[in-house]
Amino acid sequence: MRRLIGMPILIALALCACVTINVYFPAAEAREAARQFVEKVIGDEAQPSQPAPATTPNGGGMVQRELRFDPLALIGIGSAYAQEQPDITIRTPAIQAIQARMEQRFNGTLRPHFDSGALGFGQDGLVVVRDASALAIKDRVAVNAAVADDNRDRKAVYREIAVANGHPEWENQIRDVFARQWVASARAGWWYQQGGDWKQK
Amino acid sequence: MPRRILALLLLALVVLPVQARTTTARIERVEASGVLLRDVVVRLRWPPGAASGELQVAAARIDAADFGYHFERVRWQCPLARTAQGHWRCEGPLRAGDHAPMRLALDLSSATTDAELARGAARITLQRTSAAPDATRLELSRVPLAWAQALVAQAWAAGRLTGGTLQGPVLIETPAARPLRVDARLVLSALALESQDGSIAVGDLGARLRVDYRQPTGAAALVAIDGTLDGGELLYGNTYVALAGAPVQVRLDLMQRAGGGWDVPRLSWDDGDALSLDGSAALAGDGALHRLDVAARSRRLDALPARYLSGWLGLAGLADLGLSGAAEAAVRTGAGGLATVEARFEGVSLRDPRERFRIEGLEGDLRYAREGSVDSELRWRRGQLYGLRFDAIRLPLRSDAGTLRLREPATLAMLGGQVSLEGFTLRPAQGDAGLRAGFGLGIDSLDLGALSKALGWPEFGGTLSGRIPSARYADERLDFDGGLSIQAFDGRIDVDALSMERPFGVAPTLSADLALHDLDLLRITEVFDFGSITGRLHGRIDGLRLVDWTATAFDAELHTERRRGTRQRISQRAVQDISSVGDASFVTSLQGRLIGLFDDFGYQSIGIACRLENEVCRMSGLHSAGNGFTIVEGAGVPKLQVVGFNRDVDWPTLLERLAAVAKGDVSPVVD
Repeated sequence: MRRLIGMPILIALALCACVTINVYFPAAEAREAARQFVEKVIGDEAQPSQPAPATTPNGGGMVQRELRFDPLALIGIGSAYAQEQPDITIRTPAIQAIQARMEQRFNGTLRPHFDSGALGFGQDGLVVVRDASALAIKDRVAVNAAVADDNRDRKAVYREIAVANGHPEWENQIRDVFARQWVASARAGWWYQQGGDWKQK
Repeated sequence: MPRRILALLLLALVVLPVQARTTTARIERVEASGVLLRDVVVRLRWPPGAASGELQVAAARIDAADFGYHFERVRWQCPLARTAQGHWRCEGPLRAGDHAPMRLALDLSSATTDAELARGAARITLQRTSAAPDATRLELSRVPLAWAQALVAQAWAAGRLTGGTLQGPVLIETPAARPLRVDARLVLSALALESQDGSIAVGDLGARLRVDYRQPTGAAALVAIDGTLDGGELLYGNTYVALAGAPVQVRLDLMQRAGGGWDVPRLSWDDGDALSLDGSAALAGDGALHRLDVAARSRRLDALPARYLSGWLGLAGLADLGLSGAAEAAVRTGAGGLATVEARFEGVSLRDPRERFRIEGLEGDLRYAREGSVDSELRWRRGQLYGLRFDAIRLPLRSDAGTLRLREPATLAMLGGQVSLEGFTLRPAQGDAGLRAGFGLGIDSLDLGALSKALGWPEFGGTLSGRIPSARYADERLDFDGGLSIQAFDGRIDVDALSMERPFGVAPTLSADLALHDLDLLRITEVFDFGSITGRLHGRIDGLRLVDWTATAFDAELHTERRRGTRQRISQRAVQDISSVGDASFVTSLQGRLIGLFDDFGYQSIGIACRLENEVCRMSGLHSAGNGFTIVEGAGVPKLQVVGFNRDVDWPTLLERLAAVAKGDVSPVVD
């Protein structure tokens, strides 16, 4: 990553203003990053890397997007840069802090309720209270609050991952990728939403 | 009715020849007191000379439609005998369908009917007298509430009783021409019930209630409930009420609506100083609140979070919010959501446990109406926002067609200067639209020293002023038009394109573009303890993004510009600090070790740029120099040139090094 050979960037920048280019949303990287993130939160028990479930609309999940001008790509840095530092990363301290908090919350509060079927993964990448009657009344309040906290964290993660990559408009795709990944990483017996219906993995 | 059947059977036994010891009566339909029995077979077997006979009663079906009870294949078998007082008495097992058997005892005389139904410790006794044939008196003793499930389902189809026992007298009146009436004084213990979807629930509730239920024929039912709740918990949607500790007086009048659901013309809840409510409401068939018109009052707001607000505060991420003072509010909701609010606060304080905000001494009124126009005024004594203290403010408000506005600008003393709030508007969430707010800000001479201290930055002098003609809050995003101007380091920093996301939520972010004009470099290096450099600094920090108050992205370019009368010198210590932070190596006309011989050097210009992205700072300087980039271009003799070679710098490492420099514990390697 370091020691990238110096280049006359300023000159290059001056030469190539006002050009619009098409690049592709890096779905593979997003999925991989999402998988790492999700597995860290849910825990490392089993679950080898597996493809997203059949809900993936077109298999690859590649979405063509028109992005803002990136001069580095023009002068040949883009590809090398992209290989060494995938565009989808989750390295900022804020996101790592959220991830740690989510991991703690998942193990401390949410996991048993996924096991019991009270909670499920919604198709929007959030946690949904599926069957509140499976919980004691007092727990229902605590779980509702934990779910609200977790969903706030999730929204912030999806947003910040998009922004940290310089593409705030990717937020929805990133959310979709995560939604599929939560389901893919879910343990057997947990519930998830598909097309409005609940299914058990 | 049973008495008459029994009398007929006994008469038949007497009249019939002695050898015929068994009589049977078949009745297609028996109707009494709103209870319908079908295909009833009564068989009495009385051996000649015996003291008692054997009675068998069976009904194919029993319906008590008004109470929602239906039984099939009901059988009762018992020894029938005449007591010394001349009563007929029979006691034996009662079976219905596949239910567990119960024990039914019947005692008949010409004046009274007594019955007792029991299973385990649970017992219901029934009394009727021929003098008052329309009145049935029940006495319940440790009766499981589950037995009342059918009755509850009549009123609330989605309700499920899951636990608890009942005790107390119940009087049922079934006069022919008047409505059915049930008057009960019940003691409920450990009541637990639950709606089908789990959104409404009651757990472990104790209560002493007087229930008055009237069911006119062909008309809606009326219920009046009056009593005391003691202990237990209630959940209604996101509202969670924990009643432990103090009893609550309740009064509820209910009227069943024709199309399902209930009108609640009177609703009263008295929980002492914590909360009292009076009002009316309407509930839909599924228990959802249609309409609410209620006046609430709390003389001790500190009791509210634990007893009433924990559900909502948890959802809002404000669990453990500290509240104190007193407040009252009249709230009216209708089909379109919130219609009016009239609230009054007395000495209210709010404290976020995570110290994001604090308001003390909140007083005054807040009035909101979805239609029309009302005025009110709020004041507070002081507060704090993310460590920044502010003083008293007076907020004259007007609610106009559903939007709350400030009637005149409000000013607030803060950090030695003044902040004025202009044109504030707030529109509560309505339907699908979330809360929206807009305001203008005037900021006059805030003390940067106090600001930097409050935010835990190295302390530096200066003032912050500016005007933000309009700021908007919507969808958890706060956008500012206009800009701020910071007078600091004998120069000016302009802040533009300011916005915040999730200002009070998870990982609050702040974005801005900064332009630096003619800053005194010497003061900057002094504040940050970075050797000493004289000169004037200019530059830009574009696309600055702080997440959780930590920089995660920016595109910065800083350089010096020569100004008449300003010497441009850089101290030896500053050179070493730059080299240790920027991982630079010296290219000088002298040997590196000779640097130690000089206290400072003249320079022609200094320039450095960093584009932070993804925790990597891509650095450049004044211009390229071979494989590297020049950061300091020296002047005079010795001519100093500082050249950086690492263009992609790990940002956390860079920050560590900067922090180490500020602490003065670096010893740069000089080649």
